[in-house]
Amino acid sequence: MAQKTGVVFFPAFDWAISPTHPEREERLLYTRDQLFEEGIMDLPQLIEYKPRIATHKDIARAHFCVPDIQTQITNAHLIAVGGTLVLADALMDKQIANGFAMVRPPGHHAMRVAHGNRGFCNINNEAIMIEYLRQNYDIKKIAIVDTDVHHGDGTQDIFYHDPDVLFISFHQDGRTLFPGTGFCDELGGPNAFGMTLNVPMMPNTTDEGIHYILDNLVLPILDDFKPDLVVNSAGQDNHYSDPLANMRFTAQGYAKLNEKLAPDLAVLEGGYAIETALPYLNTGIILAMAGLDYSWVREPDYRPENFRETQEHKDYIKGVVDYLWGVWNDREQLGEQQYPREGEFIESTRQVYYDTDSIREQQKESVRLCDNCPGYQVIDSRGMYPDGQTKSIKAVALHPRACSTCQEEARALYERMKINLQGADVISFQDKPADRYYQLSDRGDVEISDEHLVTE
Amino acid sequence: MLIGLDVGGTYTDAVLMDDRRVVKKMKVPTQNENLLNSLLAALDPLLDAVEEVQDDELDRIVLSTTLITNLIATKQVDATALVIIPGPGLNPQLYDYRVPDTFLLSGAIDFRGREIWGIDEQEIKACAQKIQESGIMRVAVVGKFSQRNNKHEKLVASYLQENIPGLTVAMGHQITGRLNFPRRVYTTLLTLATQHRFDTFYSEVRELLEQRGIAAPLYILKADGGTLSFSSSVLKPVETIFSGPAASTLGALALTPKGKTSVVVDIGGTTTDLALILSGEPLLASKGACIDEMLTHVRAFATSSAAVGGDSCLMVEDGILQIMPYREGPAYCMGGPSPTPTDAMRALDLVEIGEERQAVRAMEMLGKELGMAPQQTAKLVLEKTVQRIVAEIEAMFISWEQEPAYRIWEMEQRKKIRPQNLVGIGAASPALLPLLGEEMGCSALIPADADVANAIGAALAKVNLRLTFHFDTDRKFYSIEENGVQEKLKGVSSLADAESFSLTRLQEEGNKMGIPGQEEPELVYSELFNMVRGWRTEGRLIDVCVQFPTGILEFQEGGVR
Ligand SMILES: [Zn+2]
Ligand SMILES: [Zn+2]
Repeated sequence: MAQKTGVVFFPAFDWAISPTHPEREERLLYTRDQLFEEGIMDLPQLIEYKPRIATHKDIARAHFCVPDIQTQITNAHLIAVGGTLVLADALMDKQIANGFAMVRPPGHHAMRVAHGNRGFCNINNEAIMIEYLRQNYDIKKIAIVDTDVHHGDGTQDIFYHDPDVLFISFHQDGRTLFPGTGFCDELGGPNAFGMTLNVPMMPNTTDEGIHYILDNLVLPILDDFKPDLVVNSAGQDNHYSDPLANMRFTAQGYAKLNEKLAPDLAVLEGGYAIETALPYLNTGIILAMAGLDYSWVREPDYRPENFRETQEHKDYIKGVVDYLWGVWNDREQLGEQQYPREGEFIESTRQVYYDTDSIREQQKESVRLCDNCPGYQVIDSRGMYPDGQTKSIKAVALHPRACSTCQEEARALYERMKINLQGADVISFQDKPADRYYQLSDRGDVEISDEHLVTE
Repeated sequence: MLIGLDVGGTYTDAVLMDDRRVVKKMKVPTQNENLLNSLLAALDPLLDAVEEVQDDELDRIVLSTTLITNLIATKQVDATALVIIPGPGLNPQLYDYRVPDTFLLSGAIDFRGREIWGIDEQEIKACAQKIQESGIMRVAVVGKFSQRNNKHEKLVASYLQENIPGLTVAMGHQITGRLNFPRRVYTTLLTLATQHRFDTFYSEVRELLEQRGIAAPLYILKADGGTLSFSSSVLKPVETIFSGPAASTLGALALTPKGKTSVVVDIGGTTTDLALILSGEPLLASKGACIDEMLTHVRAFATSSAAVGGDSCLMVEDGILQIMPYREGPAYCMGGPSPTPTDAMRALDLVEIGEERQAVRAMEMLGKELGMAPQQTAKLVLEKTVQRIVAEIEAMFISWEQEPAYRIWEMEQRKKIRPQNLVGIGAASPALLPLLGEEMGCSALIPADADVANAIGAALAKVNLRLTFHFDTDRKFYSIEENGVQEKLKGVSSLADAESFSLTRLQEEGNKMGIPGQEEPELVYSELFNMVRGWRTEGRLIDVCVQFPTGILEFQEGGVR
């Protein structure tokens, strides 16, 4: 029997950030109506799965939550993540050929350190799913293609130093849209240079422009990288009717993108044209992933003649694509130029803004340079909250493939940090080679376990 | 007094009941080519018994038959043309409705009920002409989202009716307003294709009853375990399909303690049929009945079947005992050709049918290949039989647990539950059920009169009614899924308004159907969505489902309540 496309649909009809927020109960209501009325789940090519409630350990693989995981999430988050994990298991178990998790709340703006909600996201669904897959199955190289109109800054942050995860995001230019990042010079850390690639697009870019990027940059790089798994971070706010952005992508364009990209797993991100776009986009994506005809899927007001790319856009996109293609091919050499390997650590500092929760974060990151492995990072972060409070966390993130020297160093470092807090509220450690996660705070010294902690 | 009658695929069962007491019961083989004869053979002796009771009269007769199943299986259905208005979305060819005369019209309604593309009159004209040429006199007209706006369906239907004299037209929104266009199409087609023969059959039944001087009203049992007056059932005959499993589940419900979680186990010849009762309520199939391999909008009980029964053929392959999914004849102890689970039961003295010596012989034959003594072999056979059924029961509970959830509370609430009781009906139940109960750690109940549980279920089934409302306060419109109502909305703006509006309407409709005034209406669910446009709430979408639930008649002193 031909393999099916797995679908998890979790519209969270009883969850909202606030009553009139774009992330409200209504967001996937019309998508529900369209999908159910189409009878799409009855097709033999599809199989619908129920999500599950993810565990705190699942989250700890990708995040350092301040002051703890419980504070950062609701059950809606655990279920949205759990939906992606159900599909990940079904894929690895060969029950399905590919899968689409249509879940909310979204996640791609959630960074490694989580002080609060940014860009409607608390925790990063794709990142948690990828860490879960790496720990539980024989998956080494992963590619994430972020097709949301906003830069997937959270996902970029989590994998910035990871040479095993290729992150490609195309999005509306950060000078014109939240979160204001995602430029061509954000290319990955010293241990993973060229493994982050960003294509900022001018406002009003159409299907044609996006498919140029896909055909001439994304697909050739995937061909070259040969990942074990391709994930589409499938935001739908590139759509021409989206109220939060200014692009001109259509349902046909989105469906075709998924057909060409052929992701193993797609996870819904943004998309706020809840009546005019989402019902059609989601139908199109499902059909494309299942290898079915999507030519009948179109928006009620769609006219092909309204979606012609300008020469200015074409020239600009070609320039960016050529530049990034060059970076990809020379990434080793360019990485050495960018990050001269002198000493054991490279340090950097930055500011992160949490728009939803009005939190400002200052972060210092020290990256361990190792000739034998992807090393580890030491993070020192202070969040300044709108009520005047501050909370700080010191954390160590050890790569799953860290060498024994780096493993010993990181573990010893964590033990020393526990003794000398240096004013930190939380001390945390991701021991990914051992798949164990620890946290010390005024709530105790705990190992974050696999049990379900359902909030009542 | 009440009469319940179930014309099943193999047997026709009937009971005459006085409250919960079985006054008389009948079981006759079903003649599938003449259901009417089978029905009368079981019914007439009961009618005679009614005559003999002096101080009481017959309150109603409830029928459950395989008529619709048989009509569809033997393709005795009326030719129907199909006109669909699919709008944007799936390529309609992804679904094969198996109707040669299918016509596609442009035009589209969206999920809110707004017209997005108009209907092309030239297309309707051309379509009408082709239908007329084909000579087909029944047409199903179904549009996507017609439950949110029936304008296009009505337009097409009235044009066709005006231009083709004598044409019967059914519109999708009248048949069901549940979301799922392909299932609506298929349900509408089946309705048209069976309506005429259904009407003919039950009119004959009614006439025969009149000839016998029976004035009691005639009710038909539906797949969801509710009863309908005959005149209402003619509108939606497909809903009476699979009423047999509903009848036996209701029978089990009537014969066991109230409010419990039970599995109804009907052990037959080569299959064991299962149904679930969760906290006293029969579980409905989440997807609607599957008829002729097509999903429909017919609400039906969730049933499942394990491929093992009293007559299953037993074999040893490579030293391993196998229960085959077929029968070669009756049990060896009854003169059959091969060993069966019934022989194992007989050999262990769990049943009294057949020859004990032959049963032991059958176990010897199997045992020789297994290197086991006959008694040991018999125990192994029953162990395997029980395991097979337990696995199927477990799978049913798991598939219930795994049904998709779209809300946080559904995820939090759907906890793992397992049955308290097994309720056995069917011939092999008394012997096997205690073993099953032991394996699953729950009580095994074999009610008295379990052999006619389905007829008892039919006799006691309540009239049920479910109404599912969809309110759109922005478009000032509401619709009801079950009866195709689409009307202007006045005076409903909050969830509380919508709930009380729905409950009042349920009471009114219930009265018309003869649901007694003291029945408590139930709010099944209600849900409100604010429609926010540009940070302002512009309207509300409210879904409310209310019902007089499926169940069995309660009795008080003095008769039917
Ligand atoms: Zn976005
Ligand atoms: Zn190392």
